[in-house]
Amino acid sequence: MDNNNASPRVTKETKNKIRVEFDRTPLKERLKAKYLNGFFYKKVALVIFRFVLLLGLSYIILFPFFSKISASFFSPKDFLQTDVKYIPKFPTIDQYKYLITENHYLKAMLNTFLLSGICAVLQMVVCAFIGYGFAKFKFKGNGIMFAVVLITMMIPHQFLESSMYLKFRYFVLDGTGIYSALGLTQGLINTFAPLVILSLTGLAFKNGLFIFIMRQFYKGVPDELEESSYVDGYGVFKTFFLIIIPLSVPMLVTVFILAFSWQWTDIFYVNMFLPSSKTLLLTSNAFWQQMPATLEAASAAQLSGATAASDLYVVAVRNTAGFLVIIPLIIMYLFCQRKLIQGIEHSGFGGM
Amino acid sequence: MDNVNVTAPVKRKRRGASLTEKKSRMGWIFILPFIIGLVLFYIAIVANNLQFSLAELRSRSMAQGGGYYLEWVGIDNYRYILTELQVPNAEGENVMFLEVLGTSFLDQIVDIVTIILLSLFVAVLLNQKMVGRAAFRAIFFVPVVIGAGIIAKIDSSGQNIILEAMSDGKTIETGAVAGGGGMTGLVSAMDVSMLFMNLGFGSGLVDVVVGLVSDIYDIVNRSGVQMLIFLSGLQSISPAIYESAQMEGATGWETFWKITFPMISPMILANAVYTVIDSMTSESNTVMQDILAMEGYSYKAAASSIYFFVTALAIVIVYLVMRGFVFYNRRND
Repeated sequence: MDNNNASPRVTKETKNKIRVEFDRTPLKERLKAKYLNGFFYKKVALVIFRFVLLLGLSYIILFPFFSKISASFFSPKDFLQTDVKYIPKFPTIDQYKYLITENHYLKAMLNTFLLSGICAVLQMVVCAFIGYGFAKFKFKGNGIMFAVVLITMMIPHQFLESSMYLKFRYFVLDGTGIYSALGLTQGLINTFAPLVILSLTGLAFKNGLFIFIMRQFYKGVPDELEESSYVDGYGVFKTFFLIIIPLSVPMLVTVFILAFSWQWTDIFYVNMFLPSSKTLLLTSNAFWQQMPATLEAASAAQLSGATAASDLYVVAVRNTAGFLVIIPLIIMYLFCQRKLIQGIEHSGFGGM
Repeated sequence: MDNVNVTAPVKRKRRGASLTEKKSRMGWIFILPFIIGLVLFYIAIVANNLQFSLAELRSRSMAQGGGYYLEWVGIDNYRYILTELQVPNAEGENVMFLEVLGTSFLDQIVDIVTIILLSLFVAVLLNQKMVGRAAFRAIFFVPVVIGAGIIAKIDSSGQNIILEAMSDGKTIETGAVAGGGGMTGLVSAMDVSMLFMNLGFGSGLVDVVVGLVSDIYDIVNRSGVQMLIFLSGLQSISPAIYESAQMEGATGWETFWKITFPMISPMILANAVYTVIDSMTSESNTVMQDILAMEGYSYKAAASSIYFFVTALAIVIVYLVMRGFVFYNRRND
């Protein structure tokens, strides 16, 4: 460009002010040079491609939620109309109303919240503990025990259902009369105890993954940190609780969120260990597979004879119940997602 | 121990284990909760299952006092499952268990490769600076938290008739139901296969691609944890390396293959192992469904033991294959 050669003209305006004039390339030319080239086209194309791709995948992820929200406002009559697709003609909040009142939504939510909270805290602490043991101590059998952790992950608990049920039904203390003294007619069934025990021993759902994540994280923590702590007279446990734990808070938060939400949405353990309606949980069949009586009556009244439509309505109610199960989680996620992502970002997986 | 010390007085001077040995023994205390769990119930549960698989549950006649007892039948249950038992495959036809195991195994391989490539690709995209990055990140990790499992359960409990009723006519008939089927009606299988036929690919490849497209919902939802792990791996690569590569004039393509890929290869290994475990043990898997639907504890137990060995074998194979590609960036080793 020419303006490099042409020297700028400097004129003195006042005592403390100068004015510099130089031939600037016209705006049009500059824009041309900036935007009308292959590099820029490629960049724009890439950005658009990336955006469309991510948008499409986001749509795939969110679509089931939209369809559930839409179906949750349907009234039985809507299923008789073939032209009703996503927007109901007779919108109603009856589904929510009766699921919440007749199926005891709030009680179930409180119970689920308690159970998930207890299990998530225990799993977080225990998996951090175990992961630290695997990461920082070179004891004999470290590798073998870690392989055992992986193996426990490889056996789905669904396969062990009957043995597991019997084990916790007649858990350790059976025959001593302690259970009947506590009023437990079925051993530990219908209490939170089986899930608490599983969490305490790092054998609950996907705890192998948490142990693995924590191990990976602690492997990235420099040994010098502990060495200096030992020199200062701290023991192994004091070091762990006073120095290592505060350091790993972001990672612990991630594990907590995962454990909490996976316990929240768990169907298998809940219906195996807590089948009684006394301990109603959100994922108990008694909550989310149960059709509230009022809705049943409404469906029968409005859809007399049309079995296909009333079947659809039953499914719609189940969908709404399922949606009610995940609403609290979604709200929690909206608040915590930043923490979750931050935690995993700084997990130090690079040190593998 | 004392006797040993008396006969070998030289060793007496050493006061037991050294400090490092003592310290490393503390590791056992840290993993103690896990060991207690193993000893207290887990081993018993697994052993019980194994016992079931080698025996048959018989009921006693009332004259003998009623109740149930286990009769040892050796490997009969295994033999029955491997040579006689027929179970439904993904299309619902009854075929041999081994055949279902084989086809589902091959399907899994395709799925696993796709999941890893997709999650790596998306993680790379989500790691770039762009408009709406935070929102995209939040959306992509929804399946991790909400769990695709429960969505699939909610949908499958009604066989998706809602979605089918809502979406128009032609849908992809295979695979959509298992994955929750949120995408029925988004892409028509006919269109995809027509496109690929016209491009001149063989029908085998067409089937694979159609299968993937119809499974896309399932695959995206199963990639959440992998994306998280990849993203954390990408974050841990020092920007200085990229900077120096840029100074040397490397293109984006070269940077990816020469820097990002090797640096992230340990994560690819970890993710491959995790994906194998996750997809082999997920309930959307045909074999899992078949095993869980089996009648009789003994057959279930035997089939699950067989399946466990297949899973373990798959993991060992994946590990051995992937290990060759992994690059460890360690200064001390």
